[in-house]
Amino acid sequence: MSDIQTTLRTRAAELLSSGEVVEVIGWTAGRFDNQTTPAFITKAEDAESLVFNEYCVNTTSKFSLMERGLGKVAVCVRGCDSRGINRMITDNQLKREEVHLIGIPCTGMKDRKTGEELLKCRECSYRNPVVYDELIGESVTEPELNRFDAVEKLEAMDQAERAAFFDSVYERCIRCYACREVCPVCTCKSCFVDQLAAGWQGKRSNVAENKFYGLTRVFHVGDRCVECGECQRACPMDLPLMLLNRKMIKDLDLLFEAGEAGLDAEGTNPLGTYDVNDVEEFM
Amino acid sequence: MSVVNDSQAVGTKDGTGEFEPTILAFACHWCTYSGADLAGLNRMNYPANVRLLRVPCSGRVNPQYVISAFNKGCDGVLVCGCHPGDCHYVSGNYFAKRRLMAFKRLLEYSGMEPGRFQVRWISGSEAGKFRDTVIQVCADIKNLGPLQDREADALASISVADLQKGAEAAGASASSESAVAQAATANGNAEKAGE
Amino acid sequence: MLLAKDRLPQLLDHLAAQARVYVPARVGEDTRFALYSSGLEPDFEMVNTSLPPKDLLFPQAQSMYRYGFDDNGTPFIDPVHDSDNTVLFGVRPCDVQSIACMDDVFLTMGYEDEFYAPKREKLLIVALVCNNVAESCFCDSMGLDPNSAPYADIQLRQGSEGFEIVAQTEKGQAALSDWKSFLSDGTATRDNVSCTLKVDMTGIKDKLDEMYEHPIWDRISKKCLTCGTCTYVCPTCHCFDISQENRMKLGERFRSWDSCMFSNYTEMAGHHNPRAGKQPRVRQRFLHKLCFFEDRYGKTLCVGCGRCVEKCPVALDITVLIDQIGAADVAEGAEVLEGAAHGN
Repeated sequence: MSDIQTTLRTRAAELLSSGEVVEVIGWTAGRFDNQTTPAFITKAEDAESLVFNEYCVNTTSKFSLMERGLGKVAVCVRGCDSRGINRMITDNQLKREEVHLIGIPCTGMKDRKTGEELLKCRECSYRNPVVYDELIGESVTEPELNRFDAVEKLEAMDQAERAAFFDSVYERCIRCYACREVCPVCTCKSCFVDQLAAGWQGKRSNVAENKFYGLTRVFHVGDRCVECGECQRACPMDLPLMLLNRKMIKDLDLLFEAGEAGLDAEGTNPLGTYDVNDVEEFM
Repeated sequence: MSVVNDSQAVGTKDGTGEFEPTILAFACHWCTYSGADLAGLNRMNYPANVRLLRVPCSGRVNPQYVISAFNKGCDGVLVCGCHPGDCHYVSGNYFAKRRLMAFKRLLEYSGMEPGRFQVRWISGSEAGKFRDTVIQVCADIKNLGPLQDREADALASISVADLQKGAEAAGASASSESAVAQAATANGNAEKAGE
Repeated sequence: MLLAKDRLPQLLDHLAAQARVYVPARVGEDTRFALYSSGLEPDFEMVNTSLPPKDLLFPQAQSMYRYGFDDNGTPFIDPVHDSDNTVLFGVRPCDVQSIACMDDVFLTMGYEDEFYAPKREKLLIVALVCNNVAESCFCDSMGLDPNSAPYADIQLRQGSEGFEIVAQTEKGQAALSDWKSFLSDGTATRDNVSCTLKVDMTGIKDKLDEMYEHPIWDRISKKCLTCGTCTYVCPTCHCFDISQENRMKLGERFRSWDSCMFSNYTEMAGHHNPRAGKQPRVRQRFLHKLCFFEDRYGKTLCVGCGRCVEKCPVALDITVLIDQIGAADVAEGAEVLEGAAHGN
């Protein structure tokens, strides 16, 4: 890890001083022990403040979109970040040549409070960046896991149990929209939530309104979700949001062989395409 | 001519009498809506619990409409479109099919009873299928009972009785619910369905 | 007066019989001020609840009035005023101070909010001074003291002997006389606690007065996601939006929390938005906390509870921001401005 950090700092300084990029998006130390926070480095001499350790919990992909227009930006990407970048390219939000991707294989990030590996990392099956311009560090072995484990458990419950479960989830939602803001595929110029004149989303806070927001968001992003799990990590109420996203992903793969989003810039598009031979159940 | 029997249409959710669900049916203009029209012309009887909402294509049905319908007082939602291959816009219902298959699963996964949300392909000539579908969906929803989750509609808790009162005061004038009412009229739905 | 520990449930049961009592508790995976009912175990050891108690006075959605047509077709407008006798039991000094801030907003300067006032009138604040502090607590840097809650009606100090109880207002006095049968004579011994996180607020307000156009806001706001987490977990954020729901012949107008972090907070008709980007929004939030509120009400709108420090998804930490302001060169912005004014 410390090797990666050293190389990262050197490379960031080189990229900035050569003028190849105008900014490097990575992480820097936060106020507390084992805390990091997103960093936007624009001067070569500041590259020393870049940090890479097992507490880099923020994904960087959405920031590359926020910083678009400055010039070419270098972005530190692990598996999750790189899939987000790919998906943004698929969605025509970003051009590949606008970013310089510093790939970093990842061994999983930890919660600074508990010291445990983050849930999003425990469920991750792409620890190595899937796209990069340069790679810092050695590739790591991808873990073998069933990322639909929790979804399958929920599916096995009866309907009333699931209803109670999701009601308790949406009862806690405060609709801060952090999940939307961190999401690399939530790239609408104007979210349905903000279209007040259209009146999609009521302003009241209750289970039904929260569920309306939650389910709509899942449906909007479910076919493109890159499973970075950042929505779940960012959620101030610790809601298990990936349980819903993964349900969509699982179903779309089962029904339409959608595969996984963000593995390349071509992308998948299960809900934007069709096949006349699709399975039929509405006859 | 009383277009919709108000007390029946609103449903009795206070536990008195038999539960009469409110069901919203999205009907594709080019097929299902004509099918419903044909059912009316043929004097076919089907429950007045269903309100038809005409859409240009089943592909126009945004899943958000469905959640909204549930939040605003519907006990069941039915989406009807042309048979695959018959879409007036060539491919609208193919997209709808994928979308609604995924959405139905998501809805049921998040706790909705299976059967509250249904999708059917009904062509313009299938008046009988339309009638049978509505009868069957209505029976399904009656079995399931009223949808409890009405919080989004803050007015729901106070409104059932008030709404009925309001509707009575308005008499047989159906202007306030023109979309639903017109749909029902066009379908010959007025035939004292509640009696 | 002293409340023995084992008499606490009896007191809470007694209170719950005549009012809605809210205590800090763990509910599932969540910590919050939960409605007390017999058997619920209050948790006085945990640090701040994940959500502040502000929704008791300022609910996330507050009905204002209902309107419509009655049986005779006559239009009506009925105001909704709901308030219950409420006891906020075991609230920490920072959250007590946050109620003082909200009182300023909703009850002073010639304006009394008709929805807030009755709720506030019927609220009894029973503070418990802090038994422990979290790493993100910094109230003593914001002029508060974790060992006292002067604005509360009743203050509790927890020691090994039980809770030492002092009434600090008339409302508190009246309540204490009702509690008498649960109390005994005595005092509690406890060690004072102090926050580990310190920030230096000296001169911050004066500097901020000069820093509206300072380039520091660009740097600080870069990582902000403009989600509403900080504003919704904040005990003092009190902005609201008014909207309505209509259904056939009935409608209801209500106000709901809003956040200056959201794009449509300042959006006007015709989609003009004076705070379209995140820089002006971040600046607004922190200037309101540390500057504008003090101008109007004479106190800082941040009580140092540390919730936003804990919950911000990108660790945009107000204490770091205060440090950065402290270290900033006020003139840095002036040069830029002057340059701009001269067309350079």
